[in-house]
Amino acid sequence: MTGLGGLVRWFFAPVPLARIAIFRLIAYLFIPIDVFVTTRWVAAHAGVPTEYYQPLLIAEWLPLPIPTASVVETVKWLLVGSALLAATGKAPRIWGATTFLLYFEWMVIAMSYGKVDHDRYAFLVALAVLPTVGIARWRDHRRSEAAGFAVAVIFVAVMLTYFLAAWAKIRFGGWDWVNGSTLTRAVLRRGTDLSTWTLDVPGLLHVSQYLMIGFELLSPLMLLVRRDRARIMLVVFLLGFHLMVFAGVRIIFLPHVVAILSILPWERLHNRKVPPEVIPEADAQARASS
Amino acid sequence: MVSVTDRVTVEQTAVDEVVHVAPGARVIRLIVAAMILALTMAGTVYGDDYAFPFGPPRMYATRADPDAPVSSTRVVGLDDDGEEVPLSGGEVGLRRAEFEGQVPRLIDHPDLLGLLAETYTAHHPEAGPLVAVAIIARRYELQAGQRTGAYVDDVLVTYRLQPPERGGL
Repeated sequence: MTGLGGLVRWFFAPVPLARIAIFRLIAYLFIPIDVFVTTRWVAAHAGVPTEYYQPLLIAEWLPLPIPTASVVETVKWLLVGSALLAATGKAPRIWGATTFLLYFEWMVIAMSYGKVDHDRYAFLVALAVLPTVGIARWRDHRRSEAAGFAVAVIFVAVMLTYFLAAWAKIRFGGWDWVNGSTLTRAVLRRGTDLSTWTLDVPGLLHVSQYLMIGFELLSPLMLLVRRDRARIMLVVFLLGFHLMVFAGVRIIFLPHVVAILSILPWERLHNRKVPPEVIPEADAQARASS
Repeated sequence: MVSVTDRVTVEQTAVDEVVHVAPGARVIRLIVAAMILALTMAGTVYGDDYAFPFGPPRMYATRADPDAPVSSTRVVGLDDDGEEVPLSGGEVGLRRAEFEGQVPRLIDHPDLLGLLAETYTAHHPEAGPLVAVAIIARRYELQAGQRTGAYVDDVLVTYRLQPPERGGL
């Protein structure tokens, strides 16, 4: 029972509401960037003949519309509007929920043309769980169990993205995945000036495959990192990994990177700015007596 | 001197008040989270990309044989002079990986390639007419995981377009 109790305590360990207020702003403001800058190819599906649309399982279960040009345009603008409203922090449950649902539909439009990306599971989880926190203000340093649950769930989703990637490698590539030439293939197809030299160093990419799957299999240990400073180090490490991959093969898991930012103790940005309240009054008294 | 960890400093902020979650709301949160976790695990263990968002995160999960060639597929339009016009770099709204995901279907239904020519012309009215659309796989040779520099282009399918009707003929 202590195991279960400990698990519940871990999930509901309270964190300051200010952390949610700041992370929420980042997550919702990322959506217009995602739509208009970094994942523009989703909107480009508006111009693709609908014969190329290949419905996902979820579209067989739910009555989702076939993404004609007007459907794609409508979802795009509703999503951006909803995300901007959610970013204001007002009515967070309503605008958070509509933003999650619209972003989900946007992802269905994205992934239904023959290629599914795996860079936004944790971001979708973040959008799903943020509305459950309710009102959270930038300077609200009260700690909240609902806020703690939200960041714990996002943290688990971030971890699972790595851990299940190892599982998928073993499932699809077999135990011998590490001895294949997957990274060579990736660098040949997508390599940059910063990475093509690795093709000429015998064994380098081979060893990298061992390191990669080793890190992924050990990723559940990251959930044990509790102290603020250690979590900051963890985030620096993870962001460093994703930047290295981007430099090498021009792939960045940007929505996942945004989800990683939920691990940071954002409330510390405000921590030292609590004004000492006595001083102005003392000043006034000093002036009155002089 | 008491040693102060950074965790302690956070816990001693100006207002140390905790907003609790009611027991019922806790149970609902835990049940929903457990269901999502179960779907995620099932998706990775048994599912595939079709199960998005619960499919396995199989980025680079396929083992590449160190001696098998590396393929890179492109879809091109061909103009009157036999020059290639790239179509799989976003010119018709689809990415290379999306074409690669649909290659088997496109080989079975090459008429779908004809739709691409129409879309391309609609997006690029200034471009000359296309006479055919082809899917070409470039295969780079590997030996023991190292590239040799050699490659061959393999045309998987070519779809000839109907010449546009001309008035008066």
